[in-house]
Amino acid sequence: MKIRIKRQDEPETAPYWQTFDFFGKGRKTVAGILDEINYRDDLIDENGVPSRRIRWECSCMQKMCGGCAMVINGIPALACGTFVDTTEEELLVLEPLTKFPVVSDLVTDRSCILEHQKAALMYLGEKSAENEKEFANRYSAAKCIKCGLCLEVCPNYVGGEGRFYGAVLANEAYLLYTSSENRKKAIAKEYRRHFAAGCSKSLACRDICPMKLPTLSSIGYLNRTRL
Amino acid sequence: MKILIIGSGISGLAAAIASADMGNHVVLVSPYPSERAQSVMAAGGINAAVGTAGEDDSYVHHAMDTIKGGCYLENEDDVRQFCERAPENLRWLEQMGVVFNRKEDGAISLRAFGGQSRKRTAYAGASTGKQIVTALVQKCREYEIDGRIQRRLGLHFYSGLIRDGVCYGALFCQYFTGVLQAIYADAVILATGGQNKLFGKTTGSELCDGYAAGRLFSQGVQLRNLEFIQYHPTTIETDYKRMLITEGARGEGGRLYYLDGEKRVYFMEDKYGPKGNLMSRDIVSRCIYDCPSQVYLDISFLGEKLIHERLEEVYQLCKDYIGLDVTKEPIPVAPSIHFFMGGIRVDRNHRTNILRLYAVGECASKYHGANRLGGNSLMAAVYSGRVAAEAIHREEAVKVRVENFASYIEQEEALLNRIKESRSQFPSVYILRNLAEIMNDNLGITRNRKGLSEGLEAMDLYLNVMKSIKFDHTVSLYENYRIDSMLLLAKAILCSAMAREETRGAHIREDFPETKEAFQKCSVAELVDGQIQINFEAESCEKESAWYENSDKKTG
Repeated sequence: MKIRIKRQDEPETAPYWQTFDFFGKGRKTVAGILDEINYRDDLIDENGVPSRRIRWECSCMQKMCGGCAMVINGIPALACGTFVDTTEEELLVLEPLTKFPVVSDLVTDRSCILEHQKAALMYLGEKSAENEKEFANRYSAAKCIKCGLCLEVCPNYVGGEGRFYGAVLANEAYLLYTSSENRKKAIAKEYRRHFAAGCSKSLACRDICPMKLPTLSSIGYLNRTRL
Repeated sequence: MKILIIGSGISGLAAAIASADMGNHVVLVSPYPSERAQSVMAAGGINAAVGTAGEDDSYVHHAMDTIKGGCYLENEDDVRQFCERAPENLRWLEQMGVVFNRKEDGAISLRAFGGQSRKRTAYAGASTGKQIVTALVQKCREYEIDGRIQRRLGLHFYSGLIRDGVCYGALFCQYFTGVLQAIYADAVILATGGQNKLFGKTTGSELCDGYAAGRLFSQGVQLRNLEFIQYHPTTIETDYKRMLITEGARGEGGRLYYLDGEKRVYFMEDKYGPKGNLMSRDIVSRCIYDCPSQVYLDISFLGEKLIHERLEEVYQLCKDYIGLDVTKEPIPVAPSIHFFMGGIRVDRNHRTNILRLYAVGECASKYHGANRLGGNSLMAAVYSGRVAAEAIHREEAVKVRVENFASYIEQEEALLNRIKESRSQFPSVYILRNLAEIMNDNLGITRNRKGLSEGLEAMDLYLNVMKSIKFDHTVSLYENYRIDSMLLLAKAILCSAMAREETRGAHIREDFPETKEAFQKCSVAELVDGQIQINFEAESCEKESAWYENSDKKTG
């Protein structure tokens, strides 16, 4: 199969496309394919041109760290959680996420996610008594890997500069709201300002989430607290 | 006081929060955010003798299990202190909002873990590490907002700023520009994790490459017990790496067996009784290694409800990566590299042999001896981070005159520039692949002189070759400059394994199958005049000590 990758040498340089041949067998994750390509002695593209190794971010290789979020055949996903049949598929197209600045190749700078959490003062304060009723959803919400896929697909999220911070903030706000004793009000206020006020409820965030976070429940819970 | 912390997994975060709590200014540096740290992959649990399982537990039992599991190498007092403070550390995490599983009465649930005389492993489903990281990141954020903690991302460690046995800060390399940047501090805490990458693919993170330990070793930092490498008994094979099946699966009742014809042989139970599946990891791994055919872990009989409630991540992992339904079928498992008991040598306050340089978490060697108990690494990460922060705060008086490193930095920059301008025919991945092959071939579950000699010979060859290898333009600057130190660390591991002529815990020598009293000591590796020296130094740990005897009586 052919692997077509949108490449970029540095943050300020122009992107370009490069295609590589891949002779794999059977079902593989995109992360596995990238790893195999990069671990060849020499990386040569389909025209025989020696090439720089493909830059992509990766730590766990098993859907636990969120590093490898990218656009795979037009759909944003984690490379380590996306399987392709290498014998059947003819072309695999890989691009960096589009709503974050490209660092190089498939690596994007998603530090705005962390900056948004800071700007919205997302911290616990004093812990309240355990809320057992919400245990399952809180456990799930705490598994957010900050990969940015929910922002990539959100029609309301316009990038780092806007005031709308997306589902990643809604889940964090829910988790903190349900366990904070003294900051509930502040958290709800920030949630309204940076999420509820800008969400048009496409729910694309819920469907794309690789961790299957209970985004809808988080939103519902916090919206109910507004009343 | 300004404290520089390198690495933002659980131990780095714990150190940062504790330092900030005491009013110190923290600079927390890492190439990637905490969500990418290996800590998020820790699954099964965290040990603390809180006694909520209805068993008569205490920190003394916890300490005894830890020392025994580690084959009597660790200092009793240090382990005791670690275990004594574990319940308090668990409460610390609770107060920060970690979503632990709880019993109906609200008390923290505990599960059984390997090598432990009582149930004392608190857990958050099967994603305990991730749940802890989430809470610590939130707490850290609070301090980032008020300015006590300053986070710096995108910086790779380059070297320590060390002169005459004192550390003044560290040098970092910016990912893109390749520019070196110095950060000076009154104390430096290293929290850079283990050395997985030396072995290629392991259960852990791709980012833990041992570079920092290797580089600091070349700058005079002592390393300890490098030969003790934990093979986790239950991992599954995928195309890309081996993935961990948490010990929690056996803690909840999972059973190991192999097939003799049609008959299931529950070899661990046959050999060690009903608790056989939960022997310590070194023992289980060795037994699996000795089995005549494929070993399986069966949890299907636990029922869908329990599996989905407490082991959901195991269910998903097997479904996604090997297409197996654990509620119906057994899991084919084999041991694989999972944890490094060895690392930077530290004292009970996590000080290294270099003044003002501390090491915490997996990059430090402490508490686990020759074999770590499951659930102790997360607690050690939290404990060591807090203890180092407290020690630094206490020792504020240790002031040294400021040194000027400008000429050193210039020299290193010039070196990097010279390298960058050159061109190599040798791809760096080729060297890394060979390094992994050498390490896996010669530092397997069992080792012998012949293999270790071959490994050392090969490592010397590569260390020599590296002198003439120049810049590989197909990878980043960091991926170029890290190789030398990784090879040096690899050689130190092989030397340590060669020097320990006995079998103990995770270090199994085919040619020295006995455990020898003469080796009831920790190996200490040091670079002297360019040569690796291994010495053995005893920590005070007497099997027959009064404390141990009394504890034995207490536990019956």
